[in-house]
Amino acid sequence: MMQFDSICVIDDDPIVVFGIRKMLQGAFPDATFTSYENGKVALDHLSAAVASASPLPRHILLDINMPIMDGWQFLDAFIRLPITEPMDITIITSSIDPADLQQWETFRGLTHHRLEFRNKPIKKEDLIAIVRAA
Amino acid sequence: MIRDIPSGIHTYLVRQLPVPTAFFNRQLEVVYASDSWIAIFGSLGKSVLGSTVKELAPNAPKRWMDILENCLEGVTGQKGTERVFGPDNQEIWYEYANSPWFDENENIIGAIVQVTDVTQRVRKELEYEKTRILLEANAELALIGSWEYDVERDSLKWSDMTRQIHEVPLHYTPTLESAIHFYKEGYSRNTITQKVYLAIDTGQSWSEKLQLITAEGREIWVVASGKPLYKGGKYIGLVGTLQDVTEITLSEQKITESERLLSTVVDNLPLNVYIKDLESRKTLVNKSECAYMGVTEPSELIGKSDFDLYDARMAQVSRDEDLYVMNNGKSILGKETLSVRKDGSTTYFLSSKIPLLDASNQIYGLLGVSLDITDLKNKENELRDLIDVTSRQNAKLLNFAHIVSHNLRSHSANFSMLLELLAAEEDPEEARRIVRMLTGASDNLMEALENLQEVVALNASTEIRMTPVNLRGAVSRAEDQLAAFLGANQACLHNDIPAELTITAVPAYMENILENFITNAVKYRHPERTPEIRLSARKAGGKIELSIADNGLGIDLDMYGDKLFGMYKTFHKHPDAKGIGLYIVKNQIEAMQAKILTCSEVDQGTTFKIYFNDAV
Repeated sequence: MMQFDSICVIDDDPIVVFGIRKMLQGAFPDATFTSYENGKVALDHLSAAVASASPLPRHILLDINMPIMDGWQFLDAFIRLPITEPMDITIITSSIDPADLQQWETFRGLTHHRLEFRNKPIKKEDLIAIVRAA
Repeated sequence: MIRDIPSGIHTYLVRQLPVPTAFFNRQLEVVYASDSWIAIFGSLGKSVLGSTVKELAPNAPKRWMDILENCLEGVTGQKGTERVFGPDNQEIWYEYANSPWFDENENIIGAIVQVTDVTQRVRKELEYEKTRILLEANAELALIGSWEYDVERDSLKWSDMTRQIHEVPLHYTPTLESAIHFYKEGYSRNTITQKVYLAIDTGQSWSEKLQLITAEGREIWVVASGKPLYKGGKYIGLVGTLQDVTEITLSEQKITESERLLSTVVDNLPLNVYIKDLESRKTLVNKSECAYMGVTEPSELIGKSDFDLYDARMAQVSRDEDLYVMNNGKSILGKETLSVRKDGSTTYFLSSKIPLLDASNQIYGLLGVSLDITDLKNKENELRDLIDVTSRQNAKLLNFAHIVSHNLRSHSANFSMLLELLAAEEDPEEARRIVRMLTGASDNLMEALENLQEVVALNASTEIRMTPVNLRGAVSRAEDQLAAFLGANQACLHNDIPAELTITAVPAYMENILENFITNAVKYRHPERTPEIRLSARKAGGKIELSIADNGLGIDLDMYGDKLFGMYKTFHKHPDAKGIGLYIVKNQIEAMQAKILTCSEVDQGTTFKIYFNDAV
């Protein structure tokens, strides 16, 4: 599956989507940004992409607390998709609930995708470093 | 020579002898015989005279024959008793006297035999002997001695057993005075003295259980009986018996003591104890059981079964248990049971039923033991309620912590991010855009804080004032409030609630709850249908069930069921979905001690059922 420089943001807060895009645009001028307002919409699009062998984003930035389908429900379904190449997924949440960290650990053990975890607010340098590292 | 003896006068005299008599010659042939003799021996159908002894009595024992021979030799005065069997084989006893028969010259010319039928006397003697032996045997077995007092000679005679009871040597001779002295000083001696003199004076007999001190110094219990003897109306003495009943008395005392101990223990146990027979009728109940059943005397319960004491259903349950125990010989131990008395009051028991076996290992009933654990049970329930309340409070607290950690943090994170971007922004147009976003974020934060305040107020109010609220009226008011909103959405509301139903509730909470459910039903309407909301209510199990049914989008309860009433949980992509309404509604419902159930099918609609306390 061919990848191109595309970054996917899954967050229901338009301010966060705006901010992330703004912070990354300078560092990755060629990158394409896509965003989905909840896990369900994102999952529907990504499933369709996998089914039609369309390119998948290089990096997914995932919020946890969202309506309809939250970040964990999304991950639970996403890691079952037949994607052989390990993908980079970074959870960016305002939650400091230890249960969420625990969930992250659990999901890391379940998938070959590379899972990272960051708290909001995220600094521009940090965000760029994460996306670049991948 | 015999032939010479003339008959005539001799014969005549002999025939009339009253005692059966026969004269035998030396050949032992009958020469003379009295009529009475002939009556005895003449039944043989032939002439007695001239017959020999052997002919008359073929079975005559040899001993008698010897005696007759001896007579002929001159031996006199020989007597004897013989048993012979008569024609009907009946037993006859004869006493016979044999003497030689002399002629005028003192020559022995034969033998004279006289017989007497002594059957009656012999029988009496035998009977007497048998009776005596039996009496002695009985006296020995029953430890009954006898005594006799002869007033004329002032002599008291004790039987061997009486001596044995007194533990005196067999040659001991008592007097009336010394005999009385054996009785224990005090009640026993006074009583016997009084009884003896009363008997002598008035002829009254006595029988008393008294204590006696033997010659060996042992204290024993006896039953002393006696009565005066009279001869021709004249008092001649006393006769009586003495029975050693020490063992019987002591074992009776022991049994009485054990029984008393057992009943004291059983009666004073803080447990309900009863014994039932095979028909489950009570044969023993203790004080606790009487107190539980509300009776003062065990006799009011004895003979009654559970069917007499409880309602039929309770009684059948108990009877089934009884049958299990008695048919299988297995105990039921420590079973928790709920007992309902006829007056409806309930008691929790920890009860056991144990089969009772008789000496031959046959089950004859059961022993029941019940411990009243109502207080314990109530405490347990209180504790459980407390735990429920605590865990609910804890869940709310966690929820609250989550709001603070997530929601407030997400707002502040936005501020911090936007400010960082604003500081670095050079394009004034873009900067203005960021400022607009900051303003929006600020409004969001304000709203979040207001919601939080509402939640805090709801949870902090320890005292809520509940009043009767007419359900139909409350729905009508909500409908009026939302009239414009409903009209704008072409929503149709059906108030099918019976007019008489009244619940206990907080009016302000009710208003908010109804408005939330009604607006949600319209907000999450199905795109292909006009919204319809149907409110109905009915009494159900002591509660009033309010149903709010819509034909909207429905909620996937498998996916969101646990989050439905959580804070900031939204399930529909709707601009107004803030995830706070149902959270507050749920809190208000719980504050009024009501419960909520949700049924929903995606694309079909949702029904919320709320169970309120009936105000009636």
